[in-house]
Amino acid sequence: MKRVFLALLMGLTLATVGATASAQDMTFGEDGDVTAEPAADGAATPPADGAAAPADSGDVIGDLASQNTDTSAQTQDSAPRITEASEEIYAVQQIYALRNGRVELSPYWSTTVNDQYVSHPAVGLGLNYWWTNVLAVGLNFNWYGGLENESDLNFHVRRSTRLAVPITEYQLGANLNFTYVPLYGKFSMFNDYIFQWDAYIVGGVGLMRTRPVAVVDPEIRTHERPEFNYQFRVAFNVGIGIRVFLTRWLAFFGELRDYAYLERLESTDVALGEARQDPSTWLASSPSLTNNVTAQLGLTVFFPFTFEYRLPR
Amino acid sequence: MTKHTIISLAVACGILFGALPEVAHAQEVQITGPLAGQSSVRHMRVYREGRVQLAPFANFTLQDEFSRTIGFGATLSYHLTDWFGIGAWGFFAPIHIDTALTDQVVQTGQTTDRNALSLPQRGLFNQQIGNIDWAAALQLTFIPLRGKLSLFQKIFLDADLYISLGFGFVGVSERADVTSESGFCATAPSPTAPANDDCVATQTARASRVAPAPTFAVGLSIYANEYMALNLEWRAMPFAWNTSGTDEGGRNELGVADNSGAFPDHAISSADRAFHLNHMFIIGWSFYLPSHARISE
Repeated sequence: MKRVFLALLMGLTLATVGATASAQDMTFGEDGDVTAEPAADGAATPPADGAAAPADSGDVIGDLASQNTDTSAQTQDSAPRITEASEEIYAVQQIYALRNGRVELSPYWSTTVNDQYVSHPAVGLGLNYWWTNVLAVGLNFNWYGGLENESDLNFHVRRSTRLAVPITEYQLGANLNFTYVPLYGKFSMFNDYIFQWDAYIVGGVGLMRTRPVAVVDPEIRTHERPEFNYQFRVAFNVGIGIRVFLTRWLAFFGELRDYAYLERLESTDVALGEARQDPSTWLASSPSLTNNVTAQLGLTVFFPFTFEYRLPR
Repeated sequence: MTKHTIISLAVACGILFGALPEVAHAQEVQITGPLAGQSSVRHMRVYREGRVQLAPFANFTLQDEFSRTIGFGATLSYHLTDWFGIGAWGFFAPIHIDTALTDQVVQTGQTTDRNALSLPQRGLFNQQIGNIDWAAALQLTFIPLRGKLSLFQKIFLDADLYISLGFGFVGVSERADVTSESGFCATAPSPTAPANDDCVATQTARASRVAPAPTFAVGLSIYANEYMALNLEWRAMPFAWNTSGTDEGGRNELGVADNSGAFPDHAISSADRAFHLNHMFIIGWSFYLPSHARISE
């Protein structure tokens, strides 16, 4: 009986190569009567001639077959199947979600993790096009305006040590990015659910619209002055992230990304007398490399929702 | 929000969730045939069940305000199952590195009558800041995710993700409590009136204490072989302490000491402590005993 079942199972697997079922659809009919399902191309299932593996021999298929020797009898009494199921098992699983040729849209929330003095939370949107399964080119846009807030630390340091730390404020940012996926894998949760995930590195260049915030002499150095108004700066970014697939077209991701740019911070010196009104004394003499390291959490939607494997299984 | 609005929202949510198709989760392997009820993974190496884990590590604190702590420690765990273990965790921190903010205060901080107790001498500020000296905790470890990863499609490694929850104690050294009600630390030094020696002495006086704190961590173990693994972990131990050694709080309107009270209250005390997450990055290397991992059915 085991031999017959194995032969039918292998025959069905071979016959259904090229069908449209997905790699992770390890669905077996409840009836288990695999011969009742015609092959996808209509060809008859060829009989296979192989010895059945002994129970608990380490042969997965053999073990499974030995535990279900009466399945064919059960199927004969079962009701007709309402939904179509693809009864396949693959020796090597195909990649769960192919990316090449698909567009990825990613709304996310971002928060600063490295700045003790002011946080730059943002809402963002990413758009990627995957031209291979591991390489993508894309854009992302961050909106910071109205979401920023200064930390208590800045206030306490100013009050206790009379030291003012210059800070900045962001309005928006947009970047051209390249993404590479060097690492992927899958996790089993309590040996029951399987999650596919990948890790990626991302980097790019773009623009950020920022301004220095006057904390040393805010009475004179107001945002109405051009020196303290928003200006575009060239920004570079690099990051790493992890993406966990919920479906073949939906995933959530977490990312750590550093946006680096040059900022003219407020000068910590205040000129005396008439010179206090001189704009040339308001900003630091040289720009400072400013890093905004962010943690980004969001969702990813892949378009189109479906795809087909182009290579044989 | 009106009652009508709330009802409308409830109905909308009901329709939304009710309209969701009752299909199994996409990543749930939908098996209804001979594989039904079987494990999602067979012949899996059971790395943790019934094994002792010893994991020496180095830890680096994150987002430090005044002092960065580098410590060395170990985790000792016994795993009752492949997804649950109990253990102890701790580290000793011999290295403390001043942050850029501390250096700035040392170089450019200013002492006035108002902050004379907070900063008696700016050059000694780095000796008044608080440090974490050690920490130890008992913890439970859950390992909900177990899997494998591929690196550049060349290297394939087993990995698991774990979560630890526990409670422990942190040894901290802070600026010693002092009160300046008598006024010995009430005026700023000047060329004609140098800093009061008694006031300066309070800046470097230290006091150690043990602070109770919960701890939680999330980590990834990447297995090199049957008995060794690389651990990458993020951990937090939130508790309140005075990181700057400055006078931050006093007594509030109810007469209770906290950091919302009037400033300054001319005292360094527990009222000056502020709550911090105290989180860190940990890199470690695990050894499992016995050295042989069982293979699941």
